[in-house]
Amino acid sequence: MTATAGYGQALDLITRVGGVRGAMLVSAEDGIVVAEQLMEGIKGSAVAALAASLATRLRRAMEAAGVGASLFWHLQAEGGALLVVPTPNGILVVAVAEPDVNVGLVRLELLRAAEVVG
Amino acid sequence: MSTRAVEQWTLEPLVKFVKEAGARLVLVMTSAGQVLAQHGFSRAMDVMSAAALGAAIMASTDEIARQLQQPPFAALNHQGDKHGIFLAGVKTGRGRLIALVAYDLDASSLGLVQLFFEQLAADLQAASPKDSVPKQVLAADFERELSDSLNTLFGR
Amino acid sequence: MADEIKKLSSQLAQDPDSLVFLRLAELLRHKGQLDSAHRVAVTGLERHPHLADAHDLFARILADKHDYERAFDEWDMALRIAPTHIGALKGLAFLYFKVGDVEQAAAHLEAAQRAAPDDQGVAQALALARGGQVPQDTPGTAPAAAPSPSPSPAPVEEPLPAAAQPLEEARVFAGLEGAEEGLLLLDASGRVLGGALKNAQGQDVTDAVAAYLAGVSQEAARTTKLLGLGKWTGVAAEGRSGHVHLTAPTGDALLLVVRDRAVPMGRLAIIAQRAAGAARRWLEAHG
Repeated sequence: MTATAGYGQALDLITRVGGVRGAMLVSAEDGIVVAEQLMEGIKGSAVAALAASLATRLRRAMEAAGVGASLFWHLQAEGGALLVVPTPNGILVVAVAEPDVNVGLVRLELLRAAEVVG
Repeated sequence: MSTRAVEQWTLEPLVKFVKEAGARLVLVMTSAGQVLAQHGFSRAMDVMSAAALGAAIMASTDEIARQLQQPPFAALNHQGDKHGIFLAGVKTGRGRLIALVAYDLDASSLGLVQLFFEQLAADLQAASPKDSVPKQVLAADFERELSDSLNTLFGR
Repeated sequence: MADEIKKLSSQLAQDPDSLVFLRLAELLRHKGQLDSAHRVAVTGLERHPHLADAHDLFARILADKHDYERAFDEWDMALRIAPTHIGALKGLAFLYFKVGDVEQAAAHLEAAQRAAPDDQGVAQALALARGGQVPQDTPGTAPAAAPSPSPSPAPVEEPLPAAAQPLEEARVFAGLEGAEEGLLLLDASGRVLGGALKNAQGQDVTDAVAAYLAGVSQEAARTTKLLGLGKWTGVAAEGRSGHVHLTAPTGDALLLVVRDRAVPMGRLAIIAQRAAGAARRWLEAHG
C-alpha cells in the first residue's frame, strides 16, 4: 500500500467517528496540508495553518511547564472542536469535530492514524 | 517597526496582513519593482535591493511558466533554517502587484502567510483605484519618483 | 489505645478481608499516624472497593493530610455507593465550606439532616451555613461540621467561614489543593494574578509559562473564530509527563491547571471547573 493510500485509510477511520466533520494531516513546521478528508464548508488550508500555529505555541508552553512534549490536545469551542495528535516526524493528525463529539474515541483513532503516519 | 505606504490605499490591508501573518518584512510593489508600501525595513538601500530582486525573481519565474506554456505561478516560497521568503502576485485595479514577504519560522509559517495572503490580495483588490491608467515612466521622472517614494517609505 | 491497635492489627493480619481495618485506620488517624492509617485504608479499599464506609474513612484521612481534591473524590464515590451516607455528605459540606461555596455546603448538610434528623453536629453546621455566624471554635479542635465524629489530632487550621465571609484575601485558590504548584491565574496580558507553577524538579516556572500562555489563548481565540467554531472555551493537552488544561474563567482572565500524568484528563477537567469557580469568585470580589 502506498503512503498516500495508507493516509487515506487512516483519515477514513477518523472521519467515521460520529461528530467528526473532517480529518487531515498537516505539516507542523509549515502549516500546510499533507492529506485531507473534509466535509463541505471547512477550509483545509486555514485549519492546517492555524492548527500548526497553535500546536507550536502550546508545545512551548507545555515545555516551559515541564510536562513534556504534547501527545494529544483538544481545543474546545462553543460550536466545535479541534483534536490533534502530533507525530514524531513533524506531522499533525487533526480532526475537526462537533462540540459534543466522543473525545475518547476520536483520540483513539487519531493515535492509530499517527502510528500509520509514523 | 513601522508600516508605510506611498499609495495610501495599500496601507490598511498591509497593516492587517502583517499583524495576522506575523510577517517580519513586507514589500508591495509593481511588476517593475516600484514600491507602493513596506513594512519592517529600516534602510532605503535594503528596500531598493529587495524590490529589484523580488521583481526579477517574479519575472524569471513568469518566463519559465511562459516557456512551459502555463499561466504565471501563483506564488513562490523559499525556506531557510530560520526564515522564509514568500513572493506572490496580486491583480488589482492598479495592475499586477507583487508582494514580497519575509517571515521568521519561530513566529509564523508558510501556512499562515499563505492563509492571510489570500485576504491581503482580496483587500488590495477591493481598495485599489479602479481603471487607473499606469503612467509612462520617463528616465528623468524615475529618479525623482524613486527618491520621493523612499522618503515616504521612511517617513522623511 | 495502643493495645487496641495491636489487637486489631493482629486480627487484620490473620484475616486480611476483615472489616476491622475500618476501626484500625480510624484509631491510627486519631493518633496522628496518618501514613499508617493511609496504608491500612488503601489496603482495605482494595479488598472492599464498594464499601462506602471505606471510602469515607479514606476521605477523612486524605482531608487530614490536606489532600482535599482526592478527599472530594473519595466522598463523591461514597455517595455514589450510598447516596445518604452521612459521613460523605458532611465531608463534602466541609470541603465546600472551605472553598466558600456555602450554597453547596448547605445543600449537602440538608441532605445529611434528612437522612439523620437527630444528628446535632449536622444541625449546628446547617444553622451556621444559614445564619452566617462565625463559630468561635477553640484552636486545634475540629469545626462543627468536620467530617470526623470525634476530634481529630490533626485538625484543619482555619475555622469554618461564615456564609457572608469573603474568601481569604491573599489567595485566589484558597482551599484548593495544588494552589502553590499546579494552578495559575493570569490576566489577558499574561500577568500573574494568583497561584504558581513548579516543574517536576520543584523549580518555579510561573513566569516562563505565563509568558507563553497569552499567546496560546490568543491563537486559540483566533483559530476558533476563523474556522467558524464559535468562542473558544478551553484547551486540554496531554504531555509526556503531565497534563494541562487552559480555560478563560472570565473574558479577561486565563486559568491553567497542571497535573502529573496520574491524574486522568477527565478529572483534570473537573479540577479546572472548580478552580475556575474559585477564580471567578475572587475576580468578582477584587474586580
